[in-house]
Amino acid sequence: MSMNRIVLIMLLVFLIEGTVMPWIIPGSFGSRIIPHFIFVIVIFSGLYGTRHQALFLGAGFGLLQDIVYYGHMIGAQFFVMGLLGYLTGMLLERKRVTIMMALTVVGFGCILYDSALFSIYKVFQITNASYAWALIHHILPSLFLQLGFTLAAYVPVRRMFESRMHQTPDNEAD
Amino acid sequence: MRNKRLFMLMVGLMICIAVIGFSLSDRKELSWPEKFVKDTTSYVQQWFYKPAGYIAGLFRDLRELRVLYEENEQLRLTAAAYTRDKIHYNFVQKENERLKEALHFTEQQKQMYNYNYLIAQVVSVSNDANNRTININLGSKHGVKTNMAVITTKGLIGLVSSVSELTSTVTPITELNETSPTFNSISVTIEGRENESFGILSSYDKETGRLIMTKIPETDKMEYGDTVITSGLGYVYPRGLRVGTVETKQVGDFGLTYTATVEMAADLNQLTEVFVVQVPEVEDEPQ
Repeated sequence: MSMNRIVLIMLLVFLIEGTVMPWIIPGSFGSRIIPHFIFVIVIFSGLYGTRHQALFLGAGFGLLQDIVYYGHMIGAQFFVMGLLGYLTGMLLERKRVTIMMALTVVGFGCILYDSALFSIYKVFQITNASYAWALIHHILPSLFLQLGFTLAAYVPVRRMFESRMHQTPDNEAD
Repeated sequence: MRNKRLFMLMVGLMICIAVIGFSLSDRKELSWPEKFVKDTTSYVQQWFYKPAGYIAGLFRDLRELRVLYEENEQLRLTAAAYTRDKIHYNFVQKENERLKEALHFTEQQKQMYNYNYLIAQVVSVSNDANNRTININLGSKHGVKTNMAVITTKGLIGLVSSVSELTSTVTPITELNETSPTFNSISVTIEGRENESFGILSSYDKETGRLIMTKIPETDKMEYGDTVITSGLGYVYPRGLRVGTVETKQVGDFGLTYTATVEMAADLNQLTEVFVVQVPEVEDEPQ
């Protein structure tokens, strides 16, 4: 699958994440269960694609999200998503990753991602909540949604990135 | 190889901190690439948000059929009260206009509280737990400016934080924070005692889910269950917008003033239509 198709699909996911998901999640949980589907796909691209691809997809979509939902600052999502995508790729790019392994990586990735974002906002004194509260309030509940999405999207997303790898096996520097 | 990687990481980190620092500062306007990206994304997003809302609303309507009767009863009572008050209001307004005329109010003073309500559709909701912004489909083309208040039929939900041509971003009042460099405080008062009560909504306690109102004078007769409205002092935010109800009141940090917690009237989840309150242009008055 070409890079254009991947970006197009991710754009669609990005749109759904901000528009349809708030309606699917029950109203009383609106601030507790928060979708990070783009981030999950970035992790997949690190696992089944290349680390550079994960870096660019993460940074690009992070920046898009930063700009579209610009409230306090630009750059937090850009940095965290790009970095975590790259780190996943660096650690597990060449390994054979099973579904259990993928679930574990996505789980840890999501906790790390939310914690990193929280600490950035904490450092710039934009939030005054404590980390323990944030963990119970939204990081752990959102994790389950992300794991559910991982299970549902595992096969198509893996195929999406792997078919690209087979097409261009020695194309490292994209 | 490893050094190069580390170097790139450092450069990335530096760029990020620079961008964050830049965007945290008090920016008057967005740059054109930001506006372009925001407008195009929001334009597409509005095709998704509304239909999803309709479908979700259909199910909710079915569930709420039972409470409809009760709601109708209440609405009938309110309508009756409204017709009574309307007559009274008309008299008072006439009187007020006559007095303003007699006191030679300037045109600007007369128009000061003549707010215009622009109806807007929500197009998307941010998926960042620390930054719950909402995008709406009105922008600078429609006359929206930063710092305008945004309300629902139930009460105040937030302030416009950035504007592009066709869309604008609303930062909800749950992001209020005294220490935050990006958000101002809102002065409020109590409905029914507008001239006697005073307080400042300075932050939102995320852990208890309540707004915190500070700097309440010792002599204030604020009570539990009082309705909190914006006071419009300072002429940045409009007056008379409902915020919530007072829940508790205790002595503040230094013992000189009181602090109260306020329960928000509006629900921020699953919004569809919101109103942007347009304050009439205030020109510099010749002294």
